[in-house]
Amino acid sequence: MTLRSSVAAFAGRSSYWFLHTFLKGGSSLPGKITTKIDPDILKHLGQNYDVVIITGTNGKTLTTALTVRVLKQKYHAILTNPTGSNMEQGIVTTFLRAPKAKGNRPIAVLEVDEANVIKVTRYIKPKAFVFTNIFRDQMDRYGEIYTTYQKIIDGVALAPDATIIANGDAPIFHSKNLPNPIVYYGFDQDSDDKTTDMKAKPNTDGVLCPKCQHILHYHSLVYSNLGDYFCPNCGYKRPELTYKLTKVGDRTPKSSSFEVDHSPMKIEIGGMYNIYNALAAYAVGRFFDVTPEQINTAFSEDKKVFGRQEEINVDGKKVTLILVKNPVGLNQVLDMISTDKQPFSFVGLLNANYADGIDTSWIWDGNFEDLPKLNIPAYITGGERYKDITFRLKVAGVPDDKHEIVPELSDVLEKIKTLPTENVYVLATYTAVLQLRKLLAEKGYIKEGMGA
Amino acid sequence: MTYELNVAHLYGDLMNTYGDVGNILALQYYAKQMDVHLNVKVVSLDQDFNADDYDMAFFGGGQDFEQEIVSQDIQTKKQALTDFIESGGPVLAICGGYQLLGHYYIDAKGDKIPGIGALDHYTLPQDHNRFIGDIVIKNAENGETYHGFENHQGKTYLGKGERPLGNVVEGKGNNGEDHTEGAIYKNTYCSYFHGPILTRNGNLAKRLLVAALKRRYPDADFSKQEALPIAATF
Repeated sequence: MTLRSSVAAFAGRSSYWFLHTFLKGGSSLPGKITTKIDPDILKHLGQNYDVVIITGTNGKTLTTALTVRVLKQKYHAILTNPTGSNMEQGIVTTFLRAPKAKGNRPIAVLEVDEANVIKVTRYIKPKAFVFTNIFRDQMDRYGEIYTTYQKIIDGVALAPDATIIANGDAPIFHSKNLPNPIVYYGFDQDSDDKTTDMKAKPNTDGVLCPKCQHILHYHSLVYSNLGDYFCPNCGYKRPELTYKLTKVGDRTPKSSSFEVDHSPMKIEIGGMYNIYNALAAYAVGRFFDVTPEQINTAFSEDKKVFGRQEEINVDGKKVTLILVKNPVGLNQVLDMISTDKQPFSFVGLLNANYADGIDTSWIWDGNFEDLPKLNIPAYITGGERYKDITFRLKVAGVPDDKHEIVPELSDVLEKIKTLPTENVYVLATYTAVLQLRKLLAEKGYIKEGMGA
Repeated sequence: MTYELNVAHLYGDLMNTYGDVGNILALQYYAKQMDVHLNVKVVSLDQDFNADDYDMAFFGGGQDFEQEIVSQDIQTKKQALTDFIESGGPVLAICGGYQLLGHYYIDAKGDKIPGIGALDHYTLPQDHNRFIGDIVIKNAENGETYHGFENHQGKTYLGKGERPLGNVVEGKGNNGEDHTEGAIYKNTYCSYFHGPILTRNGNLAKRLLVAALKRRYPDADFSKQEALPIAATF
């Protein structure tokens, strides 16, 4: 380390210690201080690690957490960044607060925001990249899916030796020729009929053949544009998969059973998208020579890793608070709650602050039309943009006599206590989640802080 | 349902950003209240648009890449679409769909992407800027106020025979210069509004449906449909 880097790292570490000892928080400021003193600091901080960068629109956080669990089966020292600290400064802070590694070369599993990949690869040459998926998300920030992918690829170009572990069911990840070694994972169920020829639903992004620009067809579809795609015009098709999801078993909102390469696995979380996250973690594990048995142990061992959908007890109601932020994620959540065998009520809370995305149009891309089919006895809509979400449910066919409009979140909380079912799903955008959690904490239903 | 209308969802599998499909859902919602059954069909690449088969067309916005592909394909439907528009067929075109009904637009890379010139507008790029935010406009002829969310890089300039959908009360509109937003030509309505436009402005949905009904059923009385009250949704 150069003197400058040492000074920078020392300043950053001191500020981290100060912030956490006296102010209880702050994860990007130490990074900011450090990079100010030495802009190249990441190079020094990261050079002793085997780094895995996990990026994509949805599933970064859980894939990262699962990957850490999986790799812990074989490796002792694994560094990772906490949720939300996936931009450059947060990553610098992550390295700063790492304990000094002894013995083996440690591994760092980093969740990196799509546009920040290049800011990391400028200094660190990772051993592997993981691409989860690319969907439309907060488009006013990054633009379109092709722009987002280009940002990732620009970062990957600085690390041509790193292996890419990509979701093979996403057509976009097979659209460019890259010098990197690539392995694909995806769904290839034994029950799939290879003679099936179908198209994605009209309202699906990214269905053009990257080679000849005709509409892609599918032998099987998992969700959105993910599946066993092929182009009837030019013969372009999904690449050969190295790691296959061979069977989807029993699914509930709280658990998913499945088989990977015919090995049975189970994760304590619902949602098809989480099976993809597990599959990605499996692929990374196999890449680092963790055995399928060890991976299965990792999945079943520590349930806290699935903390995203916490169940909150509100005077006897089991309230599950779920963050929704884009149409694909929303549809997956709707699909997940539809696997619940118990009756439940539905609460939708919509805000449109910067962190939520200031345009609420995206709710019209969600499959709310599926809700009335689920025989839900009671609905509540609220939040700062309650009018938008209320009309969305009306148009979806939610009956007025089962649907209450409750703009204020404090009133929503009171209303939840009177709902006819024990189980309640609350789908909320980011700032609505924060506001509701604050209320829940004030009333003593949860401890202070952001868990979601 | 007593009445039936056929709606062409132009390139619905490619031009579908920002919830534009909500316009189809809103049309279905109000059509039901007007005793009308809607048959919606996606008309996309390599498929013919036969003007006689449809009572209405909806054309949403897409991503740059998809729009380039659509720009090439739509030339094969240019005549039929122009005939449909000229004969008073109701059309709603949003964002990229709006741009492609005009002469051309210049995309973010500086490439000139041809439209079909059925309407007389054209679209130029902004330099590293987008118009993003809530927008309110007022229609000078009927006094109606429309709410939406705009998010566009292009600056559109209206041509002969086109009136704006409204004058900008709040926001940027077509080009941020002449205070116009959208375009009306015969029964074709164009706008940059997302939100989507018809979910926030039900009266516009009603206007399109009534125009389509009168054209399809020239002898029927639609005074009841025209009197349908539209509750505020925004």
